Amino acid sequence: MSGLSLLVQMGLAALLALSVSLPLRCGQLSLATPGFYAIGGYVAALLSTRWQALGGAAATYPLPSLLLEMGVAALVAGAVALLVGRPVLQLRGIYLAIATIALVEMLRVLNLNLEWSGGAVGIFAIPQPFAGPGGYLAFTVLLLAAWCWICARLDRMRLGRAMAAIREDELAARCMGIATTEVKLTAFVLSAVIAALAGVVAAHFLNTWNARQGSFDASITTLAFVVFGGSRTWLGPVVGGLVLTALPELLRPVGDLRLIVFGLVILIGPALFPQGLITPERLDWLGRAWKSQGR
Amino acid sequence: MDHLLQILVNGLSAGAVYALFALGYTLVFSVLGVINFAHGAVFTLGAYFTYLLIGGPVGANGALAGFRLPFALPFWLALAVAGLGAALVSLLVEATAFAPLRRQRSDPLLTLISSLGAGVVLVNLVQILMGAESYAIPAGTLAGLPAAVNLGGATVRTVQLLLMGIAALVLVVLTLWLERSRSGKALQAVSEDPLMARLLGIPAGSMIRLAFAISGFLAGVAGGLVGLSVSIAGPYFGIGFGLKGLGVLVLGGLGSVPGAVLGGLVVGLAEALVPAEFSGTKDGVAYAFLFLMLMLRPQGLLGRPQSSKV
Repeated sequence: MSGLSLLVQMGLAALLALSVSLPLRCGQLSLATPGFYAIGGYVAALLSTRWQALGGAAATYPLPSLLLEMGVAALVAGAVALLVGRPVLQLRGIYLAIATIALVEMLRVLNLNLEWSGGAVGIFAIPQPFAGPGGYLAFTVLLLAAWCWICARLDRMRLGRAMAAIREDELAARCMGIATTEVKLTAFVLSAVIAALAGVVAAHFLNTWNARQGSFDASITTLAFVVFGGSRTWLGPVVGGLVLTALPELLRPVGDLRLIVFGLVILIGPALFPQGLITPERLDWLGRAWKSQGR
Repeated sequence: MDHLLQILVNGLSAGAVYALFALGYTLVFSVLGVINFAHGAVFTLGAYFTYLLIGGPVGANGALAGFRLPFALPFWLALAVAGLGAALVSLLVEATAFAPLRRQRSDPLLTLISSLGAGVVLVNLVQILMGAESYAIPAGTLAGLPAAVNLGGATVRTVQLLLMGIAALVLVVLTLWLERSRSGKALQAVSEDPLMARLLGIPAGSMIRLAFAISGFLAGVAGGLVGLSVSIAGPYFGIGFGLKGLGVLVLGGLGSVPGAVLGGLVVGLAEALVPAEFSGTKDGVAYAFLFLMLMLRPQGLLGRPQSSKV
């Protein structure tokens, strides 16, 4: 894999990690992200291969069409999340995690068996909006930056603080007049939209899309990103996604052991760093250290 | 009508294995209130242990290519030893993924994540050592037993009858132990209220380890039996089983022993009833059940509703 392609994948991983971290910020462990990622990919794959008008006359796939796909994917994923989220988010803790796993697996089995999603083979020859990985990288970085900005803004918004309050104590938050169901639902929908957008870019980037893209393995991997980085800040998941995606490439000499290292990270991580590598406290400390250095 | 009988036997024997598997899940859940996501991996190991113990050679793709044990056990002994091996692995999972977090009184969600990690490590160890290929336990290992018997017009594979028999036996033994024996009652006490149990002098730590050991044994035996009746479809086959097991578990009610059995039989029968032309969607049945059940009756068929304390 070329260096640029790896960077694109790191960026996509960081987006997925942000997606998992949003429900976690209000204490909800949802493993539905790969499902929405798959939905986004299928929207992109279907629109760009079946709807000729989108292709245009140029050699590369037009950028406005890509943006249109992202709009459609965000709408579809958001609508599904809204529909499914209300009943699912009544469940707590382990039940929520299980229900979202079931959702992802049902979706995978459906996609594997439906005619229009290409069955087990999937959809091939998805047109390329960019000539090389450089264009994808620029686009992914822009997308990631935008979502980082939104997630960073959340900390200072009513919504973000309500999410933190629910995470600390849902009942107390409700007593304080926070509409807990709506806040959780908003986080779930935002999470679905991020994952779907990443799916659109990934489908074009990979050139092909199939049911394997959204599976239980992917749920574990994205969860590992967040556990590793920490879910209380926006930076944590992003760092987790970037580092853990680059890690296998850095571990290339170790070869087959990369998944074991992965497993060890999520096995030992929760005990060593219950809040992940990056917590608000550690960030504050870093910031102070930086300032005293400058003086 | 023999067709219907065939379906029934297929469904019940598949369900029996699901039940064995889910019993292990439910034991740990009832004691700790946490789901052990490494259970599927322990199941996988049980299958591989059985395969190796009956003298099966390692395929060409693993690091251990060509290796085979210097002895070959008869299937029954191999299954029992594999179960014990799986129990040891399960204890190891408890010591690495559960005990440290329990001492820290962490959020249960973190335990879920660390047990997932333990599962990933185990499965990939198997993949490195034994390769990704599938293995089959030869039917000839059941020396002396006919491959199939005729039962009221339908041919039933002996393996299927064995699966049902063993599952029934395990269920009876487990229930008797839980209800009648001192240690079984102690386990129930710990699952009811760990603090109270400790005040009464019940060592909670050893009861938890006991639950893990039994759960691992059940998973290991279920793995060996699936290896015999179907095949060992690579290191990841337990993961899919583990996910389906969740469906069984939730359907019957988390933490309920008869619930796990009922859930297993229902899922097994439902899968067997899926018509052949939709066989691709068979794997979705358990998840659909799981999802519907969570929406309609989260406590499951035989579970007790949980009220949250304020």
